[in-house]
Amino acid sequence: MDSERPLLIPLDAPGHWDEQIVGGKAAKLAQLACGGFDVPRGFCLTTWAYQTFVQDAGITAAIRMELGRKSMDDMRWEEIWDAALRIRATFLAQPLTRLLRETVAAGLRGFDTSTPLAVRSSAIGEDSAGRSFAGLHESFIGVRGRQAVEDAVRLVWASLWSDAALLYRKELGLDPAHSRMAVLVQEMIYADRSGVAFARDPRDIGKEHAVIESVPGPCSLLVDGVVDPDHWELDRKTHGIIAWLPGQRDDAEDDAPLLESRELEHILETLLSVEQLFGWSPDMEWTGRSDALTVLQARPITAAALDEDEKRTWCLTLRPGDARLKQLRKRVAEQLIPELEAAGQALAAEELNLLDDQQLADTIVQRSAALANWKKIYWEDFIPFAHGVRRLAMYYNDAVQAEDPYQFVGLLRNQPLVAKQRNNAIGQLAQQLAANDVLRSAVERLLAQCAGSLHWPTFRDSLMRIADGAENFLRGFDALNERFLDIVYDQERLHDQPEPMLRNLIELSRAPYASLGDESVAGVSVAALEKRLLDAVGPERRDEALDVIETGRVSWKLRDDDNLLVARLESQLLRALDVAAKRLRAVGRLSGEVHPNDAHVEPLVRALREPTTCPVTLELVAKVRPKDLSKAPPGETPRQLIGQPASPGVATGAVRCIHGRGDLGKFRQGEVLVCDAIQPTMTHLVPLAGAIVERRGGMLIHGAIIARELGIPCVNGVRNAAEILKNGTLVTVDGHLGIVTVGAAEFDLELGVECI
Amino acid sequence: MKNTDEPLFDEGDIKDGSGATAHRAVRERIQQLADEQPYAVLCVQGEGQPYGALVAFAFSEDLRHAVFVTPVATRKYRLLSECDHVALVIDNRPNKPDELMEIEAVTVTGRSQMIERGGEFDQWAELLVTRHPYLKSFVKAATCALFRVDVVRFLHVARFQEVNQWIPSAHS
Repeated sequence: MDSERPLLIPLDAPGHWDEQIVGGKAAKLAQLACGGFDVPRGFCLTTWAYQTFVQDAGITAAIRMELGRKSMDDMRWEEIWDAALRIRATFLAQPLTRLLRETVAAGLRGFDTSTPLAVRSSAIGEDSAGRSFAGLHESFIGVRGRQAVEDAVRLVWASLWSDAALLYRKELGLDPAHSRMAVLVQEMIYADRSGVAFARDPRDIGKEHAVIESVPGPCSLLVDGVVDPDHWELDRKTHGIIAWLPGQRDDAEDDAPLLESRELEHILETLLSVEQLFGWSPDMEWTGRSDALTVLQARPITAAALDEDEKRTWCLTLRPGDARLKQLRKRVAEQLIPELEAAGQALAAEELNLLDDQQLADTIVQRSAALANWKKIYWEDFIPFAHGVRRLAMYYNDAVQAEDPYQFVGLLRNQPLVAKQRNNAIGQLAQQLAANDVLRSAVERLLAQCAGSLHWPTFRDSLMRIADGAENFLRGFDALNERFLDIVYDQERLHDQPEPMLRNLIELSRAPYASLGDESVAGVSVAALEKRLLDAVGPERRDEALDVIETGRVSWKLRDDDNLLVARLESQLLRALDVAAKRLRAVGRLSGEVHPNDAHVEPLVRALREPTTCPVTLELVAKVRPKDLSKAPPGETPRQLIGQPASPGVATGAVRCIHGRGDLGKFRQGEVLVCDAIQPTMTHLVPLAGAIVERRGGMLIHGAIIARELGIPCVNGVRNAAEILKNGTLVTVDGHLGIVTVGAAEFDLELGVECI
Repeated sequence: MKNTDEPLFDEGDIKDGSGATAHRAVRERIQQLADEQPYAVLCVQGEGQPYGALVAFAFSEDLRHAVFVTPVATRKYRLLSECDHVALVIDNRPNKPDELMEIEAVTVTGRSQMIERGGEFDQWAELLVTRHPYLKSFVKAATCALFRVDVVRFLHVARFQEVNQWIPSAHS
């Protein structure tokens, strides 16, 4: 081993406290070990080891390629998560070199093979006095055996590039060429008490108070927020207890404090000795009591300043741990979704015309409040629970180490999504049209006659008169409308707008309609993938793996269904507002053509409750439309747009941008579907599309998954896709490379031929 | 309801310097390459044979014209005499594979014409010599020919595959 660039340093080796070599956590622990404090024995794989690994494996270039694909300013959190997942897969795909394997083996020589170990990140600057980046990098506990340690080491290295770290890349100074990470491997210490301790109260640093918190069991229970700790405040000078706040724990055997006063005294003395050693007030993680007290970590207290960027902080909450995910799964699947479904059905069944004005006003208020409540639940419970799919991704990849980091997606097939049920119903209607030329021609003719102003009763009557089989078709259409299209899209109820769907049905009747998410779709079967995972984790972790799969599936189904179910509730509010507006128009109190939406709740309710004849006005709420990017500097046009290769394949076709409801019915078979994001309300268009281009990026978003299942090329994460690309423009979508090429490769201009 | 299962950052959130660079106008980025890079690969054709050669170049302020000089006994001179369709490739590659994503390149297509001595010769020669003073005597030599490329379009490449086209004649 190069003594100038050691790959491994024992934690108790004197003088090796250079944070650039061993990282922040290990540097402080090494200093504590040499200062006579009890710390878990172990060793540090230095930043040189990281550097050796990434250089030998060519990982630096891979990270640069991943992060350089597009400006990170344009990457949403989902795309950053995807980038981090691919980087993680790159680390996992590369075995340790012989030298590094020998180094790990040398480090492990002091441990029995069955000794549970903690493999912890020790990044440079992560625990500096200025700011704590705790939680951005990964640590693993209970790791046994050389191979498991090697795997954990690679994952800790990869976490230098975790989604959370990438969000804070500027503050961390992340740079593929220079960033490095050391790894601590330590013996696990099991004790009946653990906790954290602050030499000064982090909420009020000036006070002469120290704070100690304790939980029964390992410290991770406290740090991960799984168990509520007992909390003490102690006087730094007299060491007397100032306050004790017992933790709220369901399984508490008795109400006695978890620590006795002499044990608190011992922790405080240790804390103050650590303070003396370092010259700064520490925040210390500890385990064990009295003489068995072991220091797990010490770092300077950072003031509990709120992150100035709330969105990033919010992003970090989108990675709930397993315990929280399990709680969410129970709450969401067993309680919230059935409640949401029932609420939508109950409101849809209400006969609004039977209500008097006061009652109608009351129901509008109730519906508006219910919608607001469900939107809150959507953000607080549904969105964090969507992480269940990402958790499955990481779990599967860590265990199987598949070359394709998205292989796990196959495990999500065949879920009974609401959108899939809707699409099957649409497919059956399209087949009816395909099998009955007379009926199809009649529908086409009537659609051509109405040209954008279809009157449903007239259309029904006419179709019944002129085409056999119309009755059956219309019955099916009504059922589709009631069951699946009573939702709001683009601020209007699709239920009231049958024309776009009829036009889609005509197109679909001409196309071979693929059933979405069919088991027969090419690829490895669900059962085979499940077996692959279970074989990889072994019988000991079988139940855990099945649980992660189940959470992933429920999470995946939810992220589709919740949108449609909330949209259904929204539709019921709009239905009540429509009735109110109609009544007020009938008595001449409301004029104008403004279509009511949820911004008009207040004036309509007030008008219904007022026993006057005062006129009501509804202010036009402008729909959010994409900004016009056609004012690009003269002469500048995109030639190749870059996004993520979300579904392989290549296809050329004319662009059709879907900006809103009015565009749905215009979609034609073979066109390239360009939109901000494929929403669950429009997935039925996907089988018609030659290819898909989306602004919103991510490998796990609706459009990408459906496109992959149907074998349609898809590039997503294309900046301003729906604004840059114009209807009718010829584009080639390369789903292998993530490239959208605009126009043909011509040289007409160079030949003097005007072509633009 | 709009499918919002992702954080809705406003555009421009989490800004850093690289982002600002990424969204600069294509023309500006082409101008920077043209200003910073002294040499380009000149691509010519003839007799069924493509041919490339490194040349020192200078652009006019409006980027509609580029000039370079070549001895008359060269292959490129002969091919240019036969076919005026040319391309120039200018790039800032650092010759380190790790830095692929940082490379910017521009392919310039257009028509070339030899500038006869007298007339506009001094004006175009001055443009080249101002940028490359060491070429002063070379440009003056009787066996050298000065060529002007009338640019039709620029194809700018960044981040390995992101391509934008700029046509200077469409620029008012």
